[in-house]
Amino acid sequence: MTQPAISPALPADWRDFFALTKPRVMSLVIFTGLCGLLAAPGSLHPVLAFTAILCIAVGAGGAAALNQWWEADLDAGMKRTAQRPLPAGRMDRESARDFGFGLSGAAVAIMGLAIGWLPAAILALSIFYYSWIYTVWLKPRTPQNIVIGGGAGAFPPLIGWVAVTGDITLMPVLLFLIIFMWTPPHFWALALFVKTDYAKVGIPMMPVVAGEKSTRRQILAYTVLLVPLSVVPWFIGGTGMIYGVSALVLGGVFIVLSTEVGLRSSVPDDAMKPEKRLFAFSILYLFILFAMLVADRFATIYGWQA
Amino acid sequence: MIDDPRTHDLELFRARQKSRNRVLGSILGALAVLFFAISIVKISNQSHKKAEAAAAMAGQH
Repeated sequence: MTQPAISPALPADWRDFFALTKPRVMSLVIFTGLCGLLAAPGSLHPVLAFTAILCIAVGAGGAAALNQWWEADLDAGMKRTAQRPLPAGRMDRESARDFGFGLSGAAVAIMGLAIGWLPAAILALSIFYYSWIYTVWLKPRTPQNIVIGGGAGAFPPLIGWVAVTGDITLMPVLLFLIIFMWTPPHFWALALFVKTDYAKVGIPMMPVVAGEKSTRRQILAYTVLLVPLSVVPWFIGGTGMIYGVSALVLGGVFIVLSTEVGLRSSVPDDAMKPEKRLFAFSILYLFILFAMLVADRFATIYGWQA
Repeated sequence: MIDDPRTHDLELFRARQKSRNRVLGSILGALAVLFFAISIVKISNQSHKKAEAAAAMAGQH
């Protein structure tokens, strides 16, 4: 028996494939998708509901893998991302590409066959939106990249909702718009305290291009737009008071925190506490808002509110 | 021979392959179960609809 003369390259560890799907981002995707699915009028068999959420999550994982395949060089230049499987050299690029396309294709096909072709088409659009329109096209070109990229993260509740109802109405579009408007203040708060990394690899993040002052004003502007928008589902009668009041209270806190960020300017060696606080709250905001949307729906079903 | 790098690399290679195969195997197994469950749900949904339609027809007569 002969031993191989040269040891072949090690195949990538399965954990690195898993890391390629950005599991932490996926948890928010699963949560908002599930909320859209639970808040929608109508019902879906639990097996089919599980399948729909699985497809949304796997689709998001596929898009994340494609994003990292495309951005491996950029990721290598940033401290936050240098240890991802591709820039760290633990996986070859072709594997990441094939994995990304494979997951995306499988997610769309299963969604189409098991749930319906409308949610499958929106899922395909969201994957294309994130991995091409955002990653390849807009991210390196415009400082508004996050505003447009926010659209990719806004798809899950829309898909979850449409998986139940089978058609697109105003309510799921409103959920889409809420996440869309939420993304800029959420992300720019982060970008304010990690901006050095993006500048190094030439990605035009808002604080780098337009300056800190303008970014701060825009954070405030998007928050001021977000809060009334978040109450619209209540005004049009799509939800009850539980959601409406929660949206108002949460929105009030969001505006207070972003006003603080919007009207200050950092000093050298600033600890950036208000920005970090706004970033942390923005995540909590979205979780509670969507949880309240579901709570509101169940309260109505069980007759606890009109 | 334990210190022979070729043997050592091959062992690592096989171990890596094995863990990948295990994970892939469980995913495929889980998918098979899921597809079976989806099929059962879809078939029973269809027969429910048929039964409802038949009941509605019977109600009209």
